Amino acid sequence: MSMRESGRIKDAEKKRVLDDVTRKRRARKALEALEQDNFQQDPHADLVMSKKIPKFNNSLDNNPRRKGRKTRGADYYRIKYRKTFQQLLEEDRQANPNGPNYITAQSPPTSYPQRHFCAVCGFPSSYTCTSCGTRFCCLKCQGTHQDTRCLKFVS
Amino acid sequence: MDSVVCLDNGACSIKIGYITDEKPKVIPNCIMKAKSEKRRPFIGNQIEECRDISGIFYILSFTKGYITNWEVQKNVYDYIFSTEFPVNFSDTKLIITEPLFNFPIIQEAMVEIFFEEYDCCAMAKTTAPDLCYYQYTNTQDLDEPPLCCVVIDVGYSFSHIVPFVKGKKVLSAIRRIDVGGKLLTNHLKEIISYRYLNVMDESYVINQMKEDGCFISQDFNSDMANAKLKYPENKIAREYVLPDCTTIRRGYLQPPGTAKKTDDYQMLRLNNERFAVPELLFHPLDIGIDQMGLAEATIHAINACPEETRPHLFANIIVVGGSAKFSGMQTRLYKDIRSMAPEFFTVNVTVPEEPQTYSWYGGQYLANDPNFEQSLITRQDYEENGARGVLFDE
Ligand SMILES: [Zn+2]
Ligand SMILES: [Zn+2]
Repeated sequence: MSMRESGRIKDAEKKRVLDDVTRKRRARKALEALEQDNFQQDPHADLVMSKKIPKFNNSLDNNPRRKGRKTRGADYYRIKYRKTFQQLLEEDRQANPNGPNYITAQSPPTSYPQRHFCAVCGFPSSYTCTSCGTRFCCLKCQGTHQDTRCLKFVS
Repeated sequence: MDSVVCLDNGACSIKIGYITDEKPKVIPNCIMKAKSEKRRPFIGNQIEECRDISGIFYILSFTKGYITNWEVQKNVYDYIFSTEFPVNFSDTKLIITEPLFNFPIIQEAMVEIFFEEYDCCAMAKTTAPDLCYYQYTNTQDLDEPPLCCVVIDVGYSFSHIVPFVKGKKVLSAIRRIDVGGKLLTNHLKEIISYRYLNVMDESYVINQMKEDGCFISQDFNSDMANAKLKYPENKIAREYVLPDCTTIRRGYLQPPGTAKKTDDYQMLRLNNERFAVPELLFHPLDIGIDQMGLAEATIHAINACPEETRPHLFANIIVVGGSAKFSGMQTRLYKDIRSMAPEFFTVNVTVPEEPQTYSWYGGQYLANDPNFEQSLITRQDYEENGARGVLFDE
C-alpha cells in the first residue's frame, strides 16, 4: 500500500458516512447537472443582445400591409409568456390530469437490473465506497475517488 | 399552388426550406458567445465566423424540449428570416413543428408571433414524427403504402417512440425517454473532465468529439472486455486531436500512438467512453435514470397499440433525429428489438442516410394532403378569434 493510502486512513473524514437522503440528493444533483446548457458563467453578461441582432422588422417596413401596425418586439413575448418548465408542467397536470400528456408519456422503469460502473475509469465495478456509495473497480480507482470526490462537495 | 415553407423547429437546430427545395438549410437554434469576442454574439450559423471556438457559451430557447425563452427564439427567427433564409410569409404558407404534448401557452405564443411579427398569411402546426410518418409512408417501395409505422425520434432534449396507425399518432402509446444528444454530450464532458482534462466549458468541442468518436456497441460486455486490453489488441482506443484556434478547426480521431512528442497539438485518449456514452440511449439506468431504453420502450409502446396493428408496427420502424446518426444504431436496435419481439413477427428497422433532416422532407407530402388546406390557421381565423381561440375553440 502506498504512502498515500496509509495517510488517508488517519484522515478523520474517512469515518464519515453519508446517509441515504444525502446520497439521493447527490444523485439527483448529478442528473440535474446533465441538463445544464453551460457550466461556465456568461463571459460577456453585459453584452446588450438586441442591438447586435438583425431585425426582421426592417424588411417588413416596405410592405404596404404593415403600414400603421406596430410589431411587439422580443420583450413583449418574454414578459407575456414567462413560464418556467415546472410551471408549465404543473398547469398541464391540473388541466389534463389523466393524459395522455408529458407525464403519462414517460418511459416506465426498466425491467433490466442496474449495471454498475466505476466512477473513475468507467469499467464494470464490483465495489461500493462505504462512505458515499459511489462505485469503484480496484484499489487504484478507490484511491482516486477518495482523494478527489468522495466527501467533497457535500452540501 | 402557393409556395409553402417547412420549418422543423428543433431545440438544437432549425431545418428550413421551401417544400420544393432539394434540401433544407440546417441552422443552430441558439445564440452563442465566445470568450475571445466581446463585441458581438453569434446567432445560428454565424458561429462559423468565430475563430476561437473554445469556451463557447450557449443561450437556448428550449428547456427540456419546450420553448420557454421566447426572447431568444424570436432573436433567432429574426436573424433567419432576415439574413439566412429571407422569406415573405404574407404570401407563403408555413408548416412548423412543435414538440409532442406541447403546452397550450407555448402553442399560443407561437401562433401570435407568426401572425403579429412575421405577417404570416396561414400556418399549419405539426410535429417532427408526423412529418416523418408522411415521408416514410410515401417513399416506401411497396405496391401499397404501409398503414402503420413506429417513429423513433432520438432528439437533443429527449427521445420519443411514436406509433402511428392509419396516419394518426396513438397518443396513449407514445413513450418518452429522458436521454438525448444534450445529455450525452454533457455526460461525455463530465467523464472526460474527471478522467483526463477539464473540458467542462467546452460543450461545443466535446459535442463534436461525441459525433466523431462515439459509436453504438453491438455487444456491450465484449467491447468492455476489449477496452481493458492494451493496443493493438484493444480495438476501441483512439486518440482524439483537439481543435486549436489556428490550424485545426475541428478535432479528429486517430489510432493510438500516432501522436509524436514533437506534435504540438492537444490530444485526449478515448477508450470505453466511445461506446459507454451512447449506450445510455439503451440503458438510461446506467447513470441512474430509471427508464426503459430505446428497444425496451419500443416494445412497450407497440404493446400498447391494438393487437391487430402490432405486426405492421414491428415491420415499419424508422429512426430519426440528430442522435440517430451514431454508427451502429440500425444493427443494434434491430438486434435488441428482434430479441424482445414475438418470434413470428417480421422486424424492420430503418435508419435513413440523413436522420437529422428526414422529417423535414415530409413537409411536401403534408402540403399535398387533401386535408392540408383545412388544417391551416389562416390570418382571418386569427384576427377573428385570436391565438387562443383558433387553437382551443373556447
Ligand atoms: Zn476503476
Ligand atoms: Zn466515496
